[in-house]
Amino acid sequence: MSIKEFVASIPVNKVGFKDIFGYEKTPRNLILTVLTFGLLAMFAAGVGLYLLHGHHAYNVTREHPWGLLLAAYIFFVVSSTGLCIIGSLGDVFGFKDYELISKRAIFGSIVTILSGFAVILFEIGHPVTMVIYNVLTPGLTSAIWWMGTLYGLYLTFMIIEFVFLLKGDAKFAKYFGLVGLIIGLAAHSNLGAVFGFLNARPISNGVYFPMYFILTAFITGVFIAYLFMGFRYKLKFPERVKKMLTNLGKIQIFLLSFLAFFMTWKMLTDLYGGMPNRADVAHHILGSWTFWAEVILVIVIPLLVLLKDMGRSHVAMFYASFSGMAGIAFMRYNLIHDTQVKPLQMLKVYEYQLPPTWIHYSPSAAEWMISLGGIGLCITLYYLGTKFFNLDADEGHAEQKA
Amino acid sequence: MARYGMALDYKNCIDCKACESACKEENGVLLGADKHRIWVGTKEVEGEFPFLSISSSGFVPSQCQHCEAAPCQEVCPTNATYYDENGVVRVDADKCILCTYCMNACPYDARYVDDRTMTVDKCNFCSDTRLARGETTTACQNTCPTKVRTFGDLDDPYSEISELLRRRDHYSLKAHLGTKPKLFYLT
Amino acid sequence: MQIEMSRRKFLQGTVAMSIVGGSAVSATNLLAKDDKVEKKLTFTTKTGEAKELKLVPTLCEMCVNKCAAIARMEDGVVTKLDPNPMFPKSKNMLCPRGNAGIQALYDPDRLKYPLVRIGEKGDGKYKRVTWDEAYEAILNGTDRFKGLAAILEEEEDNRSTIGYCAGEGMAEHTYKVFMQDKLGSSNFVNHASICLQTTVSGYALTIGGYGQADLENANYVIMAGANRAEAIVTPDTMDLFKRTKGRGAKLIVVDPRFTNTASHADKWLPIEVGTDLAFVLALTYVAIEENIYNKKFVELNFNGFEEYKEHILTSKYTPEWAEKITGIRASDIRQVARDFMAAAPRAIYYQGRRTAWSKQDFQLRRAQAIFSAMGGGIDREGGIIFGKKLPLGKHNINTPMYDNAQERIDKKAAAIIGGSGSWIGWRNTILEEKAAYPVRSMFVYKQNPMLSIPNTAKTKQLFEKMDLVVVIDTMPSDTAMMADVILPECTYLEREDPVKSFGSAQPAIALRQKVIDPMYDTKPVIEIIRGLAEKVSRPLFEITKKFDSEVQDAIKERGEESVYKEDGFDLADAFRHSQEEINKHMVVEKYGEEAYKTLLKEGVYYPNMDKFWKQISNNEFQWYPKKERFYSVVEGEFKSDVFHDTCVDEKEIAVLKKEFKTPSGKVECVLPNLAKRGVSPMPSWDDTQFTQIPEGKFKFITGRHAQFTQNSSSNNVMLLELMPENYLWINKRVAESKGIKFGDNVEVKSKVGQITIKAYPTEKIGPNNLFFIHGFGADSDGLTFAKGNGAADNHIIEDIIEPVFGSAAMHETIVEVRKV
Repeated sequence: MSIKEFVASIPVNKVGFKDIFGYEKTPRNLILTVLTFGLLAMFAAGVGLYLLHGHHAYNVTREHPWGLLLAAYIFFVVSSTGLCIIGSLGDVFGFKDYELISKRAIFGSIVTILSGFAVILFEIGHPVTMVIYNVLTPGLTSAIWWMGTLYGLYLTFMIIEFVFLLKGDAKFAKYFGLVGLIIGLAAHSNLGAVFGFLNARPISNGVYFPMYFILTAFITGVFIAYLFMGFRYKLKFPERVKKMLTNLGKIQIFLLSFLAFFMTWKMLTDLYGGMPNRADVAHHILGSWTFWAEVILVIVIPLLVLLKDMGRSHVAMFYASFSGMAGIAFMRYNLIHDTQVKPLQMLKVYEYQLPPTWIHYSPSAAEWMISLGGIGLCITLYYLGTKFFNLDADEGHAEQKA
Repeated sequence: MARYGMALDYKNCIDCKACESACKEENGVLLGADKHRIWVGTKEVEGEFPFLSISSSGFVPSQCQHCEAAPCQEVCPTNATYYDENGVVRVDADKCILCTYCMNACPYDARYVDDRTMTVDKCNFCSDTRLARGETTTACQNTCPTKVRTFGDLDDPYSEISELLRRRDHYSLKAHLGTKPKLFYLT
Repeated sequence: MQIEMSRRKFLQGTVAMSIVGGSAVSATNLLAKDDKVEKKLTFTTKTGEAKELKLVPTLCEMCVNKCAAIARMEDGVVTKLDPNPMFPKSKNMLCPRGNAGIQALYDPDRLKYPLVRIGEKGDGKYKRVTWDEAYEAILNGTDRFKGLAAILEEEEDNRSTIGYCAGEGMAEHTYKVFMQDKLGSSNFVNHASICLQTTVSGYALTIGGYGQADLENANYVIMAGANRAEAIVTPDTMDLFKRTKGRGAKLIVVDPRFTNTASHADKWLPIEVGTDLAFVLALTYVAIEENIYNKKFVELNFNGFEEYKEHILTSKYTPEWAEKITGIRASDIRQVARDFMAAAPRAIYYQGRRTAWSKQDFQLRRAQAIFSAMGGGIDREGGIIFGKKLPLGKHNINTPMYDNAQERIDKKAAAIIGGSGSWIGWRNTILEEKAAYPVRSMFVYKQNPMLSIPNTAKTKQLFEKMDLVVVIDTMPSDTAMMADVILPECTYLEREDPVKSFGSAQPAIALRQKVIDPMYDTKPVIEIIRGLAEKVSRPLFEITKKFDSEVQDAIKERGEESVYKEDGFDLADAFRHSQEEINKHMVVEKYGEEAYKTLLKEGVYYPNMDKFWKQISNNEFQWYPKKERFYSVVEGEFKSDVFHDTCVDEKEIAVLKKEFKTPSGKVECVLPNLAKRGVSPMPSWDDTQFTQIPEGKFKFITGRHAQFTQNSSSNNVMLLELMPENYLWINKRVAESKGIKFGDNVEVKSKVGQITIKAYPTEKIGPNNLFFIHGFGADSDGLTFAKGNGAADNHIIEDIIEPVFGSAAMHETIVEVRKV
């Protein structure tokens, strides 16, 4: 079979302009439409500002070179890895309960990583140079090189897996899915290592971030799974879905508890591990509201909802997932900011300045616009996906496997 | 070739910042508060007037340490940061993608963004200016009124810097990070 | 090693753009009230691979030190200033200002064309004119102001009705020759009375010369008020700080502020402002009481010591007495006196430079000189040395005599008024209309009295009162804004200045050569003067002919042309030769053609330079071998003519010295002829001259730091980079009690004015004082970067006169502060 034939054999719905805008004009849908278009407009405006002013459109500085865009990028790629894990549950590992979300999750992982790439495109100063010299003079000791390269491969594998899923070819989907998952986990842990390798920053240095990134990716995947299913079934879940959501809820209880446990020990070792520089930053983190926003939105609220009846309140969990995702956004921002919050230059370099204390950073308008715009991209691509592709589990395919 | 380093008799420093302006003029560094390759740090004097601690005060000139195990070089995804044939840590502006990972990774705050090329810039021991013209001193050393700096080849046992490092006690900044800096602070 | 091309390409673009962009900005901006120009201007001077590269040795003029520099020219653009290692005075260094000299040359705000006022005085409205039109305006005025001819006509050829002032500089003399010797005015004021008059005179009258502190070899140095880490003086700064911090010399810093110099001290003694004299008298008391001074030296070289000793002992200038006045513990005073004498003769009480502090300043410098001399550290290695000055050839000037010119107006301003006058006394004499005749015109060269003389309001009145104000400068300073005619001088990199001989233990002759041709329509001062002289010479001679009976008689006798030419009334005759020709003549006459060639090539010349000069290491050089240095002048003789850039007319002091009844060449403890002028013949503390600080108020002090030279560099972008503005030093605890935090705007108010400035609460200053550095707070619309940047000290410093030499007493102003 030639490639042309192969491509032609991928089942794609014939969708016209009318179909895309032919959704039910409920107030909720209309609000969502306006919101999405608003976000897309913001993205365009942010990119416009970037094209006009370059990096000067951002509030990144010598002391705080990484800003909101990087946090947004991480937010998206973590979502992607999370969805990849969720998708793999059914597809790769053969947990039948989860097969009904596989296709949707894999598609989601493609959508989110594309959005992530769209955002990071405007953070990297010279993307074309990057493409050229990533290949010509690869920096093999650089976690960013591995992360970028692996994510590129990962995206390729995800797309292939998705194609096979669409075609209902479970075997190839499984192979590509497995390789994709492994590469994804490698890429994602490398993203953690971008921070873990920093010896200039004791708060980030070490094994914690690579592991934590995988854990929080899984958590993110579960939150998004709730959101996908909630929207798909308009909160009226069929039994099969309910069963899956309950199971996911139980997994999430375990994951969130684990996260709380991780974070507690990370914080305790930071504070009392006898490294003054690290302890200072830990104290600073404890005093920042964004940290507590992260804890409450990601861990406390979802855990309370889940624990109320062990993951059976699916509608409540749908709403708690919004809280969770908002918290995850804080989590990414905190990660970026807290790494850089302690100045490396602790001496005054001008007579007339206060001695350096903590680095301040607040994102610029362009940074906000591009980051939030990324969410708009995500929603748009996902929505288009639901129109072009059949993202529901293929009943026949499920039975066939059985 | 050579292995360049610099010894700083930093207790001679009077914070006149001649080195900073010489560096900017020599290397065409743009103006701007955070656009500097080198700087002089000031320690805040401790105590209450009139009981101030002279020993707590003082000035610490600093810049890129030209580490032998440079974190900035290790993290560069495109090898834009490289060691040149003289062990000087340099940036190839053509390869730099401005991911700014190096700025985050450098423990010494030695890197900044040059707004003309929008790539990361740093001290290069005047390699593309003075040394390229065959001079043997950096702009900062040459101009220093109290002669804080001695630049030279660490591999040459007869060089002034080698002699100085054999004779005088010295330390390096953040040596515990294992970066093996080639800037030496004489005590 | 190859030159990286990619990087150099864009650098080349930057230079061209920044210069073009710079002049475009200023062409529209100059003197126009236009705030549209952003205060952010990226500026660099760096070319790529040059087609033509030229290295020109020259002398820096960013301050008064005249350090030797080598300018690098790439394709006609000055791209770098490097230190010139040949010069023993600056010892192969350039400070930040020296490096930033390029930005002075390419400053977009420079004065570019002759300008004539068309608006009201001070409103900044000027018209660009040709040089001839400018000279014409000076001679005959315009509809807005009177010219020289009209003024001299009305004043019947009293040439002294033309006042003039100048800042320190190598061409100051050229200007002075014109104003004083040719134009015939006696009313000159320069920076001496706001700077170093008291210390130069104090040391000259006491030990025969101001000398030079041999900090390279001293083992014990007391620096009181002098701040060599921040107010850089070459070679003192380099010599001192290479050896401090426990590596050779002991440094005692006496200063009400914890300066960068104090940061290098072995001991820092914060002193009550204005009480240094009590401190020195107590040191002297300890040395006498404990009999630890150099008795042999005193016996051989002192005049009137017994009387002085008696005076010190009977006045009971004990450390305990001084403690109450100075706030320095008696035990510290004893310790310093003992350590000083133990280290003597390699011990120096540093003379200081800008010593316009308090009303008792002259006596303080005398006391310092005597105390230093008691250790024997005068005219010898490690002490205060006089060195040698290499003579230069002569350039004779034909000076006309004006019968109607009168003596200067400020003779009564203080006990002794020299040729450079008392700036404040002179100004106030005019304002208070106490002068014997009106001073109606003012020529200003390279000085900015609006910001450099205490009490700006009065200086402004002075300029408003004048019929004609002419300003020669490179920048549109606050003073230029008061001018009727502005004559743009080129910067130091664009001109050759008079060759200069620098006396010291390692003397040398150095030359400021032209690096590039003058930009825009600017000229060196010698050419400005030549043009002006050619213009005014004949018409002014007509006035002299009318009023000067001696000239009338001479004309009857010898004919007009003969008098005009031979008696020097041709004002331009002194300036016919180019500066290059004059310099060549002055060097060749003494040292021959080869020496002149060396001077042009190396920028420096001294006999045997080829044999003596050696590079020892990357940082070390030898200019003279130790045994060839001039540490001691002829034995037993103190007839030194070496005054290091002191700008005080040495002849003035020589006249006083000749009147002494004691044999010359001895340390003068008692000066009876001072007593005749109502000045105490021996240093003694006068309580009535001390200004007490009222409760809740502060004594204001001012000073410098390494990145700016007074007002002249206030618009330099490179220096603003290093220090963007000045801040008020206020004691941290005082600030806290007033609710003042770092960066808060505060108002500082004195009897004569008020300013607003940002606060810098610090423990480096005591609770009785406030401080901010001089050189900021310009008002001129022509200065894009300096205007409104920080605050100017002379807006609030009172015009209090030191009574002996008429110097400014800048640390006697009482101020209050509040948050705004």
